[in-house]
Amino acid sequence: MIDITIDGEAFSVAPGTTILEAAGDRVPTLCFDERQTPFGACRVCLVGVEGASGPVPACTTQVRPGMVVDTQDPTATRVARSVVELVLSELPGPPAEHTELAQVAAQLEVGEPRWPGARHEPVHDERHPYLAFQHEWCISCGRCVRACDEVQGTFALTATGRGFAANVVAGLDEGFRASACVACGACADTCPTDAITELSLLRLE
Amino acid sequence: MRFDASVTTTCGYCGVGCRLEAHARNGKVASISPALDGPANEGHTCLKGRFAHQFSRRRDRLTSPLIKENGTFRIATWEEAIHRIATELGRIKSDHGPDAIAGLASSRATNEDCYAMQRLMRAAIGTNNLDNCSRVCHSPTSFALRKSLGLSGATGSFTDFDHADATILMGANPTEGHPVVGARIKQAALRGMKLVTIDPRRIELSDYGVLHLAPRPGTNAAVVLGIAHVLHRDGFVDHDFVAARTTGFETLEALLPQYTPEAVEEISGVPAELIEQAAHIYGEAENACWSWGLGVTEHKYGSEVVQLICNTALMTGKIGRDGSALLPLRGQNNVQGSSDMGALPDTFTAYRSVDDEEVARAFEAEWGVSLPREKGYTIPQMFDAAVAGDLKAMYIFGEDVAQTDPNTAHVVAALENLEFLVCQDIFETETTKYADVILPASSFLEKHGTFTNAERRLQLVNPAITPPGGAKTDFEILTLVAQALGHDFGWDGPEDAMLEVARLTPHFAGVTYERLGRRGLQWPVAPDGTDSPILYAETFETPDGRGHFAALPYKAPGDAADGEFPLILVTGRRLQHYNAGTMTRRTGNVELNDRDYLEIHPDDAERLWIKDGDMVSIRSRQGRTEIMAQVTDRIEPGHVFTTFHFPETRTNLLIGSSADVNTSCPEYKVIAVDVRPMPEAATMVPALAGA
Repeated sequence: MIDITIDGEAFSVAPGTTILEAAGDRVPTLCFDERQTPFGACRVCLVGVEGASGPVPACTTQVRPGMVVDTQDPTATRVARSVVELVLSELPGPPAEHTELAQVAAQLEVGEPRWPGARHEPVHDERHPYLAFQHEWCISCGRCVRACDEVQGTFALTATGRGFAANVVAGLDEGFRASACVACGACADTCPTDAITELSLLRLE
Repeated sequence: MRFDASVTTTCGYCGVGCRLEAHARNGKVASISPALDGPANEGHTCLKGRFAHQFSRRRDRLTSPLIKENGTFRIATWEEAIHRIATELGRIKSDHGPDAIAGLASSRATNEDCYAMQRLMRAAIGTNNLDNCSRVCHSPTSFALRKSLGLSGATGSFTDFDHADATILMGANPTEGHPVVGARIKQAALRGMKLVTIDPRRIELSDYGVLHLAPRPGTNAAVVLGIAHVLHRDGFVDHDFVAARTTGFETLEALLPQYTPEAVEEISGVPAELIEQAAHIYGEAENACWSWGLGVTEHKYGSEVVQLICNTALMTGKIGRDGSALLPLRGQNNVQGSSDMGALPDTFTAYRSVDDEEVARAFEAEWGVSLPREKGYTIPQMFDAAVAGDLKAMYIFGEDVAQTDPNTAHVVAALENLEFLVCQDIFETETTKYADVILPASSFLEKHGTFTNAERRLQLVNPAITPPGGAKTDFEILTLVAQALGHDFGWDGPEDAMLEVARLTPHFAGVTYERLGRRGLQWPVAPDGTDSPILYAETFETPDGRGHFAALPYKAPGDAADGEFPLILVTGRRLQHYNAGTMTRRTGNVELNDRDYLEIHPDDAERLWIKDGDMVSIRSRQGRTEIMAQVTDRIEPGHVFTTFHFPETRTNLLIGSSADVNTSCPEYKVIAVDVRPMPEAATMVPALAGA
C-alpha cells in the first residue's frame, strides 16, 4: 500500500491508484467516467501536488509514496474555473440543472461566463427513435466517443472539426440511425451536457 | 425535477441480469439508466433494457380480466374470473383427476411468482404437470451440467471473460442476444483474449476473434469431439486433475481416436486445420472459458454436446477458478430462476427430484398437503396429451406458446382441444386467442421479487410504476387463485415466498432480501449468507463429488437437406427484439427493425433468382410461410437464417417435432427447407437468369 496525504488527511491506497480515485468526490471532473480509461483532456480535475512544478490532472496521475495533495490549490482551482468558464462561454445558455456540467460549475462556483463572443447555434438531429443530438451543447470532452469504443465496442461516434467547430458525429455525420450505432445509449448516459440525450427526455410530459 | 421517483431494479429482458435505475414520472417510466454498481453490467445496458420500456403503458395492455362467452371475450370482474377458474379447474379435477390439468410458469416472471406457480400446481391442484420455457431453450444445458458437474448453472461469472486468455463461443450471438455480455466479450477480445467463434453464421464477434469455425448445423458434437481429440493427442490433458477430480476418462479416451480433425472435417465441413488451431488455443491458454447458447442446445443431441463441452474443461482442468469457466448464456431474464424454483415436472426447488421421499415430505409438511411422487408432463408432452384428450385444462402464465413453440399447428390443435385454458399475461397474444379466461398481469417494471441471471445471481426486482388499470401483480393473482382452490399460501408478500424457499432448500438457505442488497448473491448461498461466485474449486457436486466424463459419439441431426428441401434453416434472434417480441414490438425498437427476414448466401440467392429485399416463400416438411430475403455472406452457402419475433411470419410453423433426446428441447436449429421467389403477377416478359 502507498501512504499519501490529501488535504491534510492520511490515506493508504493500492499501487496504481490515481489521485482522483483516492480523493473521490472532492475533485470535480468533466471528461472522466469511471467506466472509461482516464483521458486527462479537460483539466478540471487539476490538483496541487507538493514539489510539482504546477498543478497535475488527478485522473491520470498515479499516487506515489508520500505524495501530498492539495485539492484546493489556488492555481489549480483558478485554472479549473477558467476552463469551465471558457466551456460555458461557447454554449447557448446555462446548462440544464441535472447535467454534470451544471453540477461541476456549481461545485467550482463558476457563474455566468465573463467572456462574450460566439455561441453555438442549435443543431438538432432527432431522426433516431431513442437518441437525439443537440450539437450546440457539445463540449468535445470525448466521453461519448470513448463510451462507444471502450464500453460498447461499436465505434460509431467520431470527434469532428477543430476549435469552435469541434463536435461529435455518428458515422460519417449521417445520424445515429444510418451509422453503425446499436442504440445501447452509453453515449447519452455519459454525456455531461445533454449534447447527446434520450429523445423521450426532451419531450417529457 | 425530471422524475418523481427512481428505483434500482433488475432488467426483465435477457439473462444477463443488468441492474437498472428506473425513473418514473406521472405514473410512467420516463427513462432507464444503468446502475453503475451492477455486477453483470457495470454501468452498461443495451437498447432493450434502457429504451424498450414503453410497452409498459401501451393502450393495449390487459387491464381487466376477460372471460370468453360464445366465442368472444367480455370484460369481467376479478371475482367472476377467479370464481370461473376455481369452478372449472375444480370440476375437471373431480371428473378427470389432478393430472388432467397442467401449468406453465413464466421465465419472465420473478422467482417468487414461479415458486407460487409451482406451489399452486402441486399443492392446490395436486399435479406435477408443470413446466417453464427453459424446456425449449436451455433444458439441455441444465441436464448436462447436472450430469457432468452436479449443479444446473454457470460455473463462474461474466467477469471470467475478463480474466480468460481464450474463450470458445459456440452457438451464441451475444452482441445481439445478450448485448451487454457481447460488449464485454468484444472488449476482452480487443484487449487480446483469443476468441474462437463456432457458428454456422459469421457473427459480429467473429470479426473480433482469432478463429471462426462454421460447422454444418447439427454437427456440433463432431466439432467438440475433434477439439477433444487434439487436446488429448497433443498433450493438453491435465492428468493430475483428471486423476484427482474426475471419473470416466478411459471411456472418453476410447472414443476419441476416431474423431481426427480430418474425420471431423468430413462430418462438419470445418477444415481440419481449424479444429487443430481451436484446440491449441484452448489447450495452450492458462485460463479459458467456454460459452454457449441455443445454437448448442436446440438440437436433437443438444444435451450431449453440452456434456462434450464439459469433457474438454474436465480433461484440461480448466474449471473452478477465475478465468476458467463454463458460461451458458441463459435466454430469458429468469429462465435460470424459474427452473431453480422447481417450476419443472420432475423437480422441487434446486433440482431435487419429486420422487425424493425426504424432500417431498418436507414440502408436504410445509404446505399441509400430500404431494404426487410421479413426474409430470413436459411442455411437448402437455400438447401431445391435450391433442390425445388426456389433458383437459391448462394454466399458462406469461408464455406465448402458439408463437414460440415448435410445430405451431400441433400447439394450436392442443390449445383448441382443451376444455379450459387460463392465460395470465400482460397483452393478448397468439395463445390468449384460445383462452377461456385471461387474467391481466404485471411486467417486471411493476413488481417486487427477484430474478436469477445466467451467473446464478439472485437480484432484487423493484417496481417503478404500478400495474395499469385493474391489472394485478402475478404474485397476487396466483395467491388469489390458490385461495379460491382452497389452498392458502400464507404469505404477506414475495419475500415470504423467498424465505420459504430458503427454509426448504439448502442451496438457498442464506437468501434474504436484505442480504441480496444492491449486488445480489450467487447460489448456493450458505446459511450465513456466503455465496458462490465460483463452483467446483475443490469438489464437484455430483453424488461422488467427481466430474463425470461422457463418451458420447456424434450422431446425425433430426433433419437433413434433400432434393425436395435443399437448404438448412437455422432460427435465432436479432438485437432489436426479444423472443416473441411481445414487449419489444410495442416500443420504438420496431422503428429500427420492423420484420423478420431471411438471410441467404449470395450464391444461393443467385441460383434461386432471389434479390435482396425480395419476398420469398419458405417451405419445410411442416409448413410454409412468406418472408423478405436479405442476401448476405454472413451465412454459409446452403443455409438460411431467420427469427420468430413477428407473429405475422409464424416462423415456428416450419419447425418439426424433432427434439433433444434427453430433455425434449425442440430442434429449432436444423430444419430442411425449400426457398423460392414469390410468384409474381404474370408479366409475360421472359427473363434471363441473373438479369
